[in-house]
Amino acid sequence: MSNRLTLAIAGVAAVLIIVLAVVLILVVGGGGGGDKKTVADGGSSTPAAPAAKTSSPAASGELRLRGSDPLVLDPAVAEDAGSAAYIVEIFSGLVRLDKDLKLQPDVAERWEVSADGLTYTFHLNKNATFQDGRPVTTDDVKYSWERALNPDTGSITAENFLGDIVGAKDVSRGRATEISGLKIIDDLTLSVTLDAPKPYFLYKLTYPTGFLVDQRQIKANPKRWTQQPNGTGPYKLAKWKLGEQLVLQSYDNNVLGAPKLKTVTYDLSGGSALVDYEDGNIDLTGVGLDDLDRVQDPNDKLNKEYVQTPNEAIDYIGFNTNVKPFDDPKVRQAFAMAVDRKKIAEVVLKGAIPVANGILMPGVPGYTQDDKTYAYDPQKAKQLLAESKYAGNMPEITLAESGAGATVGPTTEAIVQNWKDNLGVDVKIQQAEDATFFSDLDQGRYQMFHIGWVMDYPDPEDLLDILFYSTSRQNNSRYSNPDIDKKLEAARTEQDTEKRLAIYRDVEKQLVQDAAWIPMFFETTHALVKPYVKGFEFPPMIIERFRDVEVNR
Amino acid sequence: MEGLAGYILRRLLFLPLTLLVVSFATFYITRWGPGDPISVYSGQYRDPEAFARVRHKYGLDKPIIEQYGIYMKGLLLHGDLGESYRYRDRTIPEVLRPKIWVSVRLGLYAFILTFLIGIPTGVFAAVKQGSWLDPFVISVFLFFQSIPVLVTVPMLVLLFAAKLHWLPAGGFDGLFSTSMIIPTLALSLGGIAGVARLARATTLGTLGEDFVRTARAKGLDEFTVIGRHVVRNSVVPVMTTLIGLSVVGLLEGALFTETLLGIPGVGLFLYESVKGRDYNVILASVLLVTTAFVIANLVVDLALIVIDPRVRDSGGSVRA
Repeated sequence: MSNRLTLAIAGVAAVLIIVLAVVLILVVGGGGGGDKKTVADGGSSTPAAPAAKTSSPAASGELRLRGSDPLVLDPAVAEDAGSAAYIVEIFSGLVRLDKDLKLQPDVAERWEVSADGLTYTFHLNKNATFQDGRPVTTDDVKYSWERALNPDTGSITAENFLGDIVGAKDVSRGRATEISGLKIIDDLTLSVTLDAPKPYFLYKLTYPTGFLVDQRQIKANPKRWTQQPNGTGPYKLAKWKLGEQLVLQSYDNNVLGAPKLKTVTYDLSGGSALVDYEDGNIDLTGVGLDDLDRVQDPNDKLNKEYVQTPNEAIDYIGFNTNVKPFDDPKVRQAFAMAVDRKKIAEVVLKGAIPVANGILMPGVPGYTQDDKTYAYDPQKAKQLLAESKYAGNMPEITLAESGAGATVGPTTEAIVQNWKDNLGVDVKIQQAEDATFFSDLDQGRYQMFHIGWVMDYPDPEDLLDILFYSTSRQNNSRYSNPDIDKKLEAARTEQDTEKRLAIYRDVEKQLVQDAAWIPMFFETTHALVKPYVKGFEFPPMIIERFRDVEVNR
Repeated sequence: MEGLAGYILRRLLFLPLTLLVVSFATFYITRWGPGDPISVYSGQYRDPEAFARVRHKYGLDKPIIEQYGIYMKGLLLHGDLGESYRYRDRTIPEVLRPKIWVSVRLGLYAFILTFLIGIPTGVFAAVKQGSWLDPFVISVFLFFQSIPVLVTVPMLVLLFAAKLHWLPAGGFDGLFSTSMIIPTLALSLGGIAGVARLARATTLGTLGEDFVRTARAKGLDEFTVIGRHVVRNSVVPVMTTLIGLSVVGLLEGALFTETLLGIPGVGLFLYESVKGRDYNVILASVLLVTTAFVIANLVVDLALIVIDPRVRDSGGSVRA
């Protein structure tokens, strides 16, 4: 066989490979070379690229951002933060939280609370309308809440957020269809009676479960109404194409006035948000830990657009206080003192996230600035461990964490290393995917777990009572302390705000001292916002956030 | 061709049976495993009593066999694939459609690349039979074939993204973007050896045929002989045989590739649905993939029958 032939065949193969490579590069728009930052340049200008990226640059009053498909837009059943972010724009309730997490009127223009704190009388704003223009009446409120509670709706959260109303639990448990404690006085007035004078009741109504839905729409199209929901919020769902684009359009007759920002366009197609941000295809984006170094560098051009906001959320290590060895408070305290949280925050988290100084985060009423947690003290920790009843016969310990298959997070690794170095205790790490993790957590199968808590409403009750009251269904720590229980019960109905917060501060201090948890970090949002976007703030909780934004691109 | 029609019919009759067995196994295994969709989606709201109520609403508290009966009744009588527990605003076909599109496109890219590299390699190896180049080129691709996609993907990411910074390390910027290059490579590398070896075998067979000798005797140069006479006659069987097998390999590889790189196709979606215990979506995806698998195999066999009468006469049992 001739050499020429060999060459020819090799040539054909090479040409084919080169042609393919060239085609790929051409298709990508010549972005094949260069470094990572510019690699997707021009990808967006290809005609076949998702339509989301082709919006006209001259358009004003439009905010463009990345998003993912909401799982469900029904406020009564949504449980995930991703869906809630859309729901709080499309729907609204009687009351709302402002940027400072203060209660403000929404569909209800005012309300009165009876002297005994049991009865709330709401007066609806006569200008409140659904997005199809129909005025909101008290009957809509009744329908929305009874629907949320009805077992056929399938809401996990309804009893949590509406269950304080007399008779609400009868509805959620299928014993009644109407809430006996809810009385319609006229079209615009209704009264609600609670099972106890709970000062945090109004806060619970700011959560989507209690938002208003359009009964006519739901009755006409019970299964698919959320594809074009008729809410009472400041934005209408104008378009939602799965995996491509979601568009919110302002509803100018909103009871609180027409939103300044007219259009919010979410690109749902995925990809590198930072690249898209730099290319000017989106106006704001969150920043992951990997890119933090860059945006925090004062010499980087992105640094001027970098913002960070605290979230009402905490990352912690929880103990099952019922099982060996964490039934001994000394062991828990030793573990708490043996973790160098400051160093982990500095080195592993690049100083991006503040160390928790207690259980309650800044912004939650009752928060205090002093450090309530155990300082890093390896000597003392060792000593406590030696005094504990498990000194010398420490059982095997496993730390559980949700997240499957991936490598263990560097934070968890650092914590476990701290325990090994400072206490000489080898803690195993067990990762479980969410389904298994939660199921095992519910059944108290873990000795200790790395997890977080996100506040649903800014009241200490939403954390302390739910997670530490001995018979609470969500008491994952199996924590039981009659003294704490008594205080939590008192705080539930204490009408004097100062006294009430003082009780919670006391409870928090006691819990931290008893090392019921190791509070690790307060969560923080890191983000980039283009300078032409005015008035945008990342709220510390999931609340409406676009109304006052101006975009002058 | 009455025998052929009967054959197709017989093969197609096996499809429902296959689907039935697969659906039952999937249905049972998913529901039997730990956790359930209600508990996963409720996130930090751990209220066992509320879980029980919602489970009851969806009939998840019934015995699995009874749930299966209800599901099959809905599927067979109304074509109802059930509800997604995750995407509760949408029907399952609605949610799956955009994912299928992405996966099919990724598969197509990988498929084309496999053949573009595999066939010339095989022909080259055949022509070089007897020299060290023959085993060498085949071995190179056999090496890639022996590495699972699970390993190929991180290696490619390490090389092209972490070290060279040529390509993004993951994510998805649309079907026409650099983010598609690593998945395409990962998916095709494993299949090239198969195509090359088959192309080599058929080329060797063709090289010994009389018409090749005739062509050479006519004084045609080697390039024309190989290009026009040999390749044309050896490539067709390679294509048809391997299309089906590649579809299977691609489906398998797509699960890992999409999951590791974050490509929003059926593979990633299936993985997310398994994590979220979205029972009905898992089942629908599995049935979809099974159907694609069975049909791909059928098409291959039919193609072989059309090409090669020997197969037809033997009732379709001869496979490459």
